[in-house]
Amino acid sequence: MQRSTLSDVTYNWIVGLLAGLGILILVAPVIIVIATSFTTSQTLRFPPPDLSLRWYRELFDPVRSAPIHTAAWNSVWVAFVATVVGAVLSVLAALAITRVSRPSARLLEASFLSPLILPSLSYGLAALMFFSVLGIRPSLNLLIAGHLVVIAPFVFRTTLASLTQLDPALLEASANLGASRFYGFRRITLPLIAPGIAAGCFLAFISSMDNVPVSLFLSNARTGMLPIRMWGMMESTLDVRIAAIAGVLILATLLLMIVMDRLTGLTKRMSA
Amino acid sequence: MLPRSETGLATAQPLTLDGITHSYGGGLAVDNVTLEVKGGEFVALLGPSGCGKTTLLRIVAGFIEQGNGKIIIGDRPIDTLPPSKREIGIVFQNYALFPHMTVTQNIAYGLAARGESRKLQEERVAEMLAIVQLETLADRKPRQLSGGQQQRVALARALAIRPRILLLDEPFAALDKNLRLDMQIEIKRLQRQFALTAIMVTHDQDEAMAIADRIAVMSQGRIEQLGTPVQIYDEPASLFVNGFIGSSNLLAGTVEAATAEGYRVALSTSTSWTVPSRQNFAPGAPVLVSVRPEQMTLADEAGEGRFPVSLKLSLPIGGELIHDVTAPDGTSLKVAVPRRPGVASSRAETAFCALADHARPSLFAKP
Ligand SMILES: Nc1ncnc2c1ncn2[C@@H]1O[C@H](COP(=O)(O)OP(=O)(O)OP(=O)(O)O)[C@@H](O)[C@H]1O
Ligand SMILES: [Mg+2]
Repeated sequence: MQRSTLSDVTYNWIVGLLAGLGILILVAPVIIVIATSFTTSQTLRFPPPDLSLRWYRELFDPVRSAPIHTAAWNSVWVAFVATVVGAVLSVLAALAITRVSRPSARLLEASFLSPLILPSLSYGLAALMFFSVLGIRPSLNLLIAGHLVVIAPFVFRTTLASLTQLDPALLEASANLGASRFYGFRRITLPLIAPGIAAGCFLAFISSMDNVPVSLFLSNARTGMLPIRMWGMMESTLDVRIAAIAGVLILATLLLMIVMDRLTGLTKRMSA
Repeated sequence: MLPRSETGLATAQPLTLDGITHSYGGGLAVDNVTLEVKGGEFVALLGPSGCGKTTLLRIVAGFIEQGNGKIIIGDRPIDTLPPSKREIGIVFQNYALFPHMTVTQNIAYGLAARGESRKLQEERVAEMLAIVQLETLADRKPRQLSGGQQQRVALARALAIRPRILLLDEPFAALDKNLRLDMQIEIKRLQRQFALTAIMVTHDQDEAMAIADRIAVMSQGRIEQLGTPVQIYDEPASLFVNGFIGSSNLLAGTVEAATAEGYRVALSTSTSWTVPSRQNFAPGAPVLVSVRPEQMTLADEAGEGRFPVSLKLSLPIGGELIHDVTAPDGTSLKVAVPRRPGVASSRAETAFCALADHARPSLFAKP
């Protein structure tokens, strides 16, 4: 055993302190909002005077919370469709770009990734103006199209990363053994990049679920989205159901993350 | 269909490379290579880094389209066939095993890709596993295997499709020394058993010597010499081959005259030796005489064809004693003599250097 010197101890203290601080900043708000969601009180006050499931019951009431439910389903549907379509497009684009080494491919790559950098607010406004020039009315499909643009790059980026890590010799071996390109893609490329695609889909889905800027411009009263609805409730009534929604969202994300880890962890174990 | 012998294996097919030339845009990576590999023969491509060995192998496999020249298997040109139709087995340098598949799935891959029946796949995998002695590891993933085991899986995978030709790119580079010899024997055995025509790329001369029927020494995209290991070692065709294969001593000299036994060469160490050569040299031509260290000896007394040297260092290397000596004109030489048990270094400070009894020096024009 080696004795730890004074500087080791100081180092450990400082790192520990920073980590603790980081966790505090990240986790404390979550704990506060969850605690608040179980309050008996009428207001969003912390700490809650007493605990109950009152606001969850209220939130799941099919009549009184109907608009929230509609908005939630809209959000899930838009996120789901945009993620699926975005994944297909991104995987195809990433495959094409890794196959070409021309400078034009670099240019395309940059432009496919640009929505990650472009302020979504400007894009939301631009999309609204563009679609109204074309005479297209707001609808869920329009929202899907809008979200698609801002979330597809997540899948594109993770897929590109796993493709560049793929050993090209594997595909040569596949061809050498008599496999067609498509067969090699199905049995070699796809299984090996699947964890990357899944991770990208997860990020894309989450970022669509809590996207405000694009939804703000492209939705109307009929196509309300959850984050917009929550903001509305916040402004008008300070309804405690918001905290309950936040609680549900946090729980759902946590579950999704566990599922993701199981899946990609599994595929990682299979492919590593 | 290919001709099949009674063992069910294809009879060995010759592979002909005819004037293969390729450049990646800059200079020539492969420069007009012509090579006829006989059916069932094992040829090693040997050469320094960057001389175009891998490029040549990849051209044969179809991963690179050559700028010029033809590749013929049997009597059929295969230049227009894609890699998947060439029926050439490859063992890649890092094996390129499919990491997400088991040993069984790896070996069955080529058969599955061809749409062979489940039954045939199972039979063939069992057969290949038995041949490479990996039955107990059939359900492991590649990363759970040692380097030697991985290589055997790579071999089994390549051979499962019953290829006509086997290509090996630095197959032993990733293995440690003891395992190397085992795998060299293994590969040689399988190559014979499957009646394969094989080309192996390597920059390890011992490996090439041990395993190949013939060696093609390459330099700068060209084949410098093609011959059996013994020919290459004993009669190097050029100064490059001489320097690349084994170690050798170079002595400068001038041709004095041509005699019946060879050229009489006056050495810079103030002796003269008679050296046979197939090349022509005019009297007065400046030349280099090359002698292998084990073809020289040290004597205690002066004599004909001997020159004095001062001993600098003696290294006992296994059964040999390697002496590092310097001639009066400054030429530095290595002399390898059999080591008597218990002897670790040499006797005297000065000695006389001479050709050993069966020495076969080579003569090259001075560049
Ligand atoms: N993809 C490529 N693009 C451009 N030049 C290349 C490419 N691959 C190889 N070269 C060049 O072609 C020449 C031959 O390369 P090659 O890989 O065939 O050498 P090698 O004999 O296999 O060397 P090594 O023993 O180091 O593997 C080298 O000069 C190399 O720089
Ligand atoms: Mg190479």
